[in-house]
Amino acid sequence: MTVRGRRLGVWIGAAVAVGTLLLPIALNDSQLTVYVFIGLATMVVAGLSLLMGFAGQVSLGQGAFYAIGAYTAALLAKLLGVPPVLALALATAATAAVAVVVGLPLLRLRGHYLAFATLAFQLIVLSVIGEARDLTGGDIGLPGVPTLSIGPLALEGQYRTFIFAYIVWALAALALLLNRNLVRSRPGRALRALATSEPGALAAGVAVGRFKLQVFALSAAYAGLAGGVYAFFLSYIAPGSFPVLLSIQFLIMATVGGLGSISGALVGATVITLMVQLLAAVGTLPGMPLHAPAVFSYAVYGLVLVLILLLLPQGLVPAVQARLGARRAVSAVEASAGEAA
Amino acid sequence: MQLLLQYLSSGIATGCTFALVATGFVAIYRVTRVVNFAQGAFAVIGGMAAYALLGRGLPHGAAELVAVGLAATAGLLVGLVAIGRRGSPPLASLIITLGIGIGSYAVLILIFGDQPVSYDGLPGSAAIGGVTMPLQFLLVVAVTAATFALLAAFFNRTYLGRALTACSSNPHAARLVGIDTTRMGLVSFALGGALGGLAGVLLTPLQPVSFNSDVGIAINGFAAAVFGGILRPVTALVGALVLGVAEALVAGYSKASYESGVALVLMLALMVWQASRRAPVEEAAA
Repeated sequence: MTVRGRRLGVWIGAAVAVGTLLLPIALNDSQLTVYVFIGLATMVVAGLSLLMGFAGQVSLGQGAFYAIGAYTAALLAKLLGVPPVLALALATAATAAVAVVVGLPLLRLRGHYLAFATLAFQLIVLSVIGEARDLTGGDIGLPGVPTLSIGPLALEGQYRTFIFAYIVWALAALALLLNRNLVRSRPGRALRALATSEPGALAAGVAVGRFKLQVFALSAAYAGLAGGVYAFFLSYIAPGSFPVLLSIQFLIMATVGGLGSISGALVGATVITLMVQLLAAVGTLPGMPLHAPAVFSYAVYGLVLVLILLLLPQGLVPAVQARLGARRAVSAVEASAGEAA
Repeated sequence: MQLLLQYLSSGIATGCTFALVATGFVAIYRVTRVVNFAQGAFAVIGGMAAYALLGRGLPHGAAELVAVGLAATAGLLVGLVAIGRRGSPPLASLIITLGIGIGSYAVLILIFGDQPVSYDGLPGSAAIGGVTMPLQFLLVVAVTAATFALLAAFFNRTYLGRALTACSSNPHAARLVGIDTTRMGLVSFALGGALGGLAGVLLTPLQPVSFNSDVGIAINGFAAAVFGGILRPVTALVGALVLGVAEALVAGYSKASYESGVALVLMLALMVWQASRRAPVEEAAA
């Protein structure tokens, strides 16, 4: 990237960061809730994008990790009285551990086999949660999850959603920052080699299996953390909150933003969440048929996924970057041609 | 003993419908190397269309045939989007078919509503060896057997069928002898759609189908197809029967909610076992 390009990137990043920090002040409570959901989705998609973009693995089971994180955090805090922050940390670690155990056999699969395997994993997780009625409340769900608290300071009252928004976005920013540093580090170079050619990376001495498993575990950890925060935020979770469609939604966000693109996770999560919210608002207008919101969201998921893959297979952010890069290259050539003349 | 035979017969009947879905996966995968996530949607289209047509007063037989034709058309359309653009890698095509599967929910809800539907199959029951079973079970088995016989004849005896097989074994050589591989891909998608539709038409009287039943149907069909490495229809048939019987036995003797878990765990174990026998690193198939 050129110096100018990098400077442009820094400016855009700074603008987005300031905007993210200021935005909650202008939003009302229901808008803030959407804001929180975008932040949570950004965390999950940051992991999925890394997994799909660099390890080349499709996962249709991120919703399962989200569920595992949510239930672990909720059960630890509600039944054992573990302080919520500690419960969040434990939920993140537990989700990553589950991913390692599941990933050891499953990551031998690739492509469509892995896609179906992760989908199957999510269905199994959902049915286990549904069956363990004594612990999880089964299909009825788990109400009364305590709110986040640090020591005696519990997150309640008028500013609850407002503060949650900042917590969620701080975590999302951390996830994105971690991704950025990871991609630029030595393991990141190994991951990029892995993305280009698995046999090539193996021949160059990259421990392919171990790296894949680590990225899988990291992506699960992000999803687990987001799930834990989700449980504390809503204080009620049920298997129905984590349908297969949720995993597909994460996949759509990652694809739209651009696989392997760090900021793509943010863009994809924002674009899709806002689009679905907008359509839900249109669908619930008076005079609309009862099933209009569902029809709209399914149609949009389908159309967006198909159109992006056909027209912009690399995703929004990389496509825009390529367009800008091309323009800069052209102007640079023109400038040097002008100097020569 | 009586109970066991009862479970066996219902397991074989549902297994046959899985086999048809699985053959749809195989038909498309062999020619295009695309695993079609929308395969379950074809079955849903078939079942719901047959229900709607029967409701409009079309007689049995005609309604089912039209429904299978609609599913085949849907298959063709999916194929056009998924492989119509030259050079889409198979993994992108997989995600495209996933998108189409989700998008189909919108269309299905708009046309058929969001409630599960079911209709009466073949009325009456027969007693064979002391076991009474609905005639619909026998119909499912007979139709599946006939379909497999027809498919075998199609792939081995007809020009089109042999061209499809040629594309599956070596697409480059097939193009050299003048076979249009893209068109063959579309034919395979239409065939996959028809097979999925047939499965749906037969399955809907056995268990109600709603717009989002496709995930369950597709998972079972894919699990059966995996038995034959998604390439061999007959092995897929055996896989489907094993799966159907295993699920019926689990549902009968233990708990109905464990039923789908059996298919999932079996599929995972099988895939991992197959993968462990392959070379640890493969170059992506061109």
